[in-house]
Amino acid sequence: MALLEAEDLAVAIGRLSPLDGVSFRVDKGEVLGIVGESGSGKSLTALTVMGLLGLVGGRVTRGAIRFDGTDLVGLDEAAYRRLRGRRIALITQNPMTSLDPLQRVGAQIDQVARLHLGLGPAASRTRSIEILEQLRIPRAAIVHGQYPHQLSGGMKQRIVIAMALAADPDLIIADEPTTALDVTIQAQIIDLMGELVRARGVALVLITHDMGVVAQACDRVLVLYAGRVAESDRVDAIFAAPRHPYTRALIACIPREGMERGSLSGIPGLVPSVADYAAGCRFAPRCPQAEARCRTEAPVARAIGERVVACHLAEAADA
Amino acid sequence: MPEPLVALRALSRDFVVGGGLLGKRRVLRAVHDVTLDVPRGRITGVVGESGCGKSTLARLVLRLIEASSGSVVFDGRDLGSVTARELRALRRRMQMVFQDPYASIDPRYSVRAALREPFEVQGLKLGAAEAGQAVAQLLDLVGLSAALADSFPHQLSGGQKQRVGIARALALRPDFLVLDEPTASLDVSIQAQIVALLERLRDELGLTYLFISHDLGLVRYLCDRIVVMYLGSVVEVLPTARAKPRHPYTRALLDSVFEPDPTRRRKVARLSGEIPSAFDPPPGCAFAARCAQANARCLTERPVLADDDGHAVACHHPLA
Repeated sequence: MALLEAEDLAVAIGRLSPLDGVSFRVDKGEVLGIVGESGSGKSLTALTVMGLLGLVGGRVTRGAIRFDGTDLVGLDEAAYRRLRGRRIALITQNPMTSLDPLQRVGAQIDQVARLHLGLGPAASRTRSIEILEQLRIPRAAIVHGQYPHQLSGGMKQRIVIAMALAADPDLIIADEPTTALDVTIQAQIIDLMGELVRARGVALVLITHDMGVVAQACDRVLVLYAGRVAESDRVDAIFAAPRHPYTRALIACIPREGMERGSLSGIPGLVPSVADYAAGCRFAPRCPQAEARCRTEAPVARAIGERVVACHLAEAADA
Repeated sequence: MPEPLVALRALSRDFVVGGGLLGKRRVLRAVHDVTLDVPRGRITGVVGESGCGKSTLARLVLRLIEASSGSVVFDGRDLGSVTARELRALRRRMQMVFQDPYASIDPRYSVRAALREPFEVQGLKLGAAEAGQAVAQLLDLVGLSAALADSFPHQLSGGQKQRVGIARALALRPDFLVLDEPTASLDVSIQAQIVALLERLRDELGLTYLFISHDLGLVRYLCDRIVVMYLGSVVEVLPTARAKPRHPYTRALLDSVFEPDPTRRRKVARLSGEIPSAFDPPPGCAFAARCAQANARCLTERPVLADDDGHAVACHHPLA
């Protein structure tokens, strides 16, 4: 059984349904990429797993999220608190949303192990410095005593990752963790997270808008569009043969080695806002292959082996 | 070789920080001794990470800020020695596209007002019909519907705003655009749309671009020639987009590109360490502290940019 498994998840905020029928799974030692444009429901999926939907006034209306055998849907706040930080950690895009500017970074990492693992001051400090060293931070003991403003953006994000690792979690959810960083630093941090996941047997959910990051860093991928699953599978299989036109379009947005000038086109139009979801396939207005049926009838996500795809055209090709 | 549209000669810019109440006076060397030609009708890419001086360079090229030393020659005229009147006339021919176009446009301006402003700034009085036509033409040029003319920035998506920014830059029919990270804050799908638009406009209008970006993958796709900057200096000039990097930093940038192909996962060691401070640049090669090949000489002696048949590199031990 997978460590984390979401099945047919639906979320409502007021009368709107920003997530509808989302399923995915991630095992220990594995990286799941959740990919899509802004407005596709990626971050909302993260909030749902973290039990933080209340922050946006949302609630789960259907489906289940099983984490290590426990259904997280309907779990009370006290039980969720015991999971959050301890067994499930969240890393956000902007490290300063997770760091206290007035406290030394070392103390902030120590605190996690003291709170969740019951370590004393000396043991937690030793452990924090070990984690910083694993994150290849030079002069870790000195950095441990510094304040956030003394550190670069890449270093701050590594501190946030150290905080996430300090409680030895089973699952890390990272929401665009490197988007704000320089390219060389971004590549380092993505590599590092992948290594840690494999070495420590942690499950990582990596949320990104970039199929390049998915190709380089993930084992499985879930492509979301406008709150629904477009396609999911193992990364090598999806890139070898993407079946949903949206997956193909997302891959084609990124220049690759040797690509001819003039062959980059982007995806015309915009992700619809949640208040404007049309009947039929939500991608149809932007889809180069859409047929009459696509505009009236919503495609159902179908599984063939590990591949899940929700597209009438893919279905017709199989028939 | 035809005369380049823009020629930079030994261009430098320092910023002085502090002094007086702000404490110790410190000098930040943002751009140091940059010499570069921007050929007509071509796309010249400038690539580097934050703090490498690429945005300062963009502003120096258009003389939006003054150089500490060196010169910018635009179509044979030295921008440092022309009169204010001549500079104003030349400004019509060179425009900038910013990462966040509405950072430079009044948020209370409608699209129509934003597109009319360049004409007003240049003292061109347009009649109502003429102005309406100009706005409609510009919107059409950048692929926006004429119905958007009365929209306000908060009603536009990021991609639409950038199209307005490009339309505004094109209003006075310039020859030369400096594009400073025009797609950096957009979703990849929208980034690709904007890049396709820029390619089309270049072909249709015969424009010359200086395209500034942190993304070497994108620059290699779009540009004819690539200038790599590190800590204020040019470390390599690739004569073609596909040229093999010879500077270890360019190689590291290339290794950091996330190519959308899982069969080509990189196994190479990626760059460690951080970019040194521009307040206190090291005496030798600025990249030495992060370079796997660095030796004693690299730490003490600054490598100069040496040109070998159009491919220039500033490194004591360039890659083969």
